[in-house]
Amino acid sequence: MSDDPTAHRWLLALGEPRQALGWSLAEWQRHIRLARRLRLLARLAEGLDAAGLLDQVPPPARRHLLAEQQLSRWRVDALRWAALRVVQALEPKAYPCVLLKGAAYVAQGLPIGRGRLPSDLDILVPKAHLDDAQVSLAKTGWDELPTDAYDQRYYREWSHELPPMRHPHHAYELDLHHNILPPVARTSVDAGLLLSRLQPSPWPGWQVLHPVDQLLHSAAHLFLDAEPRERLRDLADMDQLMRHFGVAGACPGFWDELPPRAAQLGLAEPLALALHFTARWFDTPVPEPVRRRVAASGPGALRRAWLVPLFGAVLDPTDPDRMPGLPQEAAATLLLARYHLTRLPLRLLLPHLWRKWRKAGDQTL
Amino acid sequence: MSPHPPLHLTASGAVRAALASPGLRLDLGLAALHLRSRSALLAGQLQRVYPHFPFEPPGDFADLHVHVDPGAGLRRWIRPQARFRCDSRRNFEPFPASHALPLVEWGSNWLIGQRFNDHLLLHAGAVERDGRALLLPAVPGSGKSTLTAALSLSGWRLLSDEFGAIDPASGEVRPVLKPVALKNRSIDVIRAFAPDAPLGPAFPNTRKGTVAHLAASAAAVAARHRGARPAAVILPRWSDGAALSLQPVPPEELLPAVGFNAFNYRVLGARSFDAAVRLVRQCPGWRLTYSRLDDALRGIDQLWRDLVPAA
Repeated sequence: MSDDPTAHRWLLALGEPRQALGWSLAEWQRHIRLARRLRLLARLAEGLDAAGLLDQVPPPARRHLLAEQQLSRWRVDALRWAALRVVQALEPKAYPCVLLKGAAYVAQGLPIGRGRLPSDLDILVPKAHLDDAQVSLAKTGWDELPTDAYDQRYYREWSHELPPMRHPHHAYELDLHHNILPPVARTSVDAGLLLSRLQPSPWPGWQVLHPVDQLLHSAAHLFLDAEPRERLRDLADMDQLMRHFGVAGACPGFWDELPPRAAQLGLAEPLALALHFTARWFDTPVPEPVRRRVAASGPGALRRAWLVPLFGAVLDPTDPDRMPGLPQEAAATLLLARYHLTRLPLRLLLPHLWRKWRKAGDQTL
Repeated sequence: MSPHPPLHLTASGAVRAALASPGLRLDLGLAALHLRSRSALLAGQLQRVYPHFPFEPPGDFADLHVHVDPGAGLRRWIRPQARFRCDSRRNFEPFPASHALPLVEWGSNWLIGQRFNDHLLLHAGAVERDGRALLLPAVPGSGKSTLTAALSLSGWRLLSDEFGAIDPASGEVRPVLKPVALKNRSIDVIRAFAPDAPLGPAFPNTRKGTVAHLAASAAAVAARHRGARPAAVILPRWSDGAALSLQPVPPEELLPAVGFNAFNYRVLGARSFDAAVRLVRQCPGWRLTYSRLDDALRGIDQLWRDLVPAA
């Protein structure tokens, strides 16, 4: 953790690449090390490249940007290829096929679609067509990673996605979803509401969530997940989604729709946290009335008093010369406990953890 | 000339203190490593296998930052460990404290193979003579390091025993200069081949058996920023009892062999394809099978004389 309030100013260069040109070589070294670990280095490279500024970066730093940009372009290309192959196996005319998260940003040609290092392909179909989709995918070589009967039941009944699938020709794991959050979780989302506002994408056969829902999904994914440690890249995504769809006006009505939609989907709390942390680290210019409405419907003062410091501690990146400190470890443990408690009701959670603990024990013997 | 004295002529206390803080800079040519550790053992091991590298402070910018620390708590005293970390991440399982050097070598090689996608990185030995580079791509176990070591002890300049780093823009091979890692029987083979060879301590019972490192020469270290255009590609294979055989490999067979023996061929896409095509158009290729080092060196020497006019 860093007590220096200027320690994270470098993050602003993700949105305004020109800021990076003032960095000393020692600052470049620090920011390259941090950005690489946070999986933001290629993003920085693409931003500088798009602004025509890469040539002005000192050569020792520039080569790292170019190398990571190369890696990112390969992974993004491979993701596009995988997505185009996958949709041929599905039946987009019979039921909607939806790209989620990074793949959706790439498909829409958003600025944050560049410079990503995707590791899996997340897609969503209506629950009624989940089995059809899985059978079609299996026919083209997408196989579930081995799971036992218990895991199968966990995924089928309590989860919002199927076990991850692999294909011998593709570098990605395919996660087939029917919702963005588990149906049994304390915070659950009506998938019908998401499906009612889909948007076309430039990739044939694929649709994407409405821009407001894309932001809310990203917020839910970060603030209701098991492992939010150092996930500043998710905040960088949210910052850029708001700047693109809201500030730059790519989605008319974005700001007006955001607070009521968050309330409708039951995601007011993750949205409030997202606005708090994007403002803290990325200076995201959210209109004041929107901020007030979100704050009014988000977590109360008491909840904020523990959620904000905990997330602040786990999101704050560790100095690259140190190992994560005890406060971050402790905060991560508390947030993991919260995750489990909100994910499954206690009557399901306790037997589940007991099983997982026994199984982990068996494997170490 | 570097204003800094070489590591082997520096007082061990000074190396130990600098390694602990602020760390040592090991400039390998393609990349500079900033290495920190409180291990006195590691400081001594580095002096033996990086003897001609300058003793210099970390400076403002390094490409790799490696920290080797001992285990926490009781681990400091009971079966002490060497733990590798880079940028707050522990990428590897710990090694016994005595094996800090092999840990640093493997760990930094792994990082280089992951990171330097501004170059096509072949899994290859690379040496230079008469201003031109010879590349020796091979799968592990082919005797690539042994052959590279023998060449470097026979008038060739060592560029690397692990990476044939090709700059896609210029087509040049750039040095990634580190000690040559010799495994198991190769250690005795090289000892027999050159009894004076500057070998570091042997590390038994590593993942790959016993490992010992051959130090790069002062001349190789002095020239580690100078690349060389490749002149030939040899695909070496050691085979017990085999007679020397050097068979030409046509470009259409050499191209896939180059691609197969690269760390990042797919990542570089069209760039690596272009670089590999250029390489096989410019360089003749041979498949070398041998059992005796002397035979192999004689064969390579003869081939080189026909190929590259001596400077």
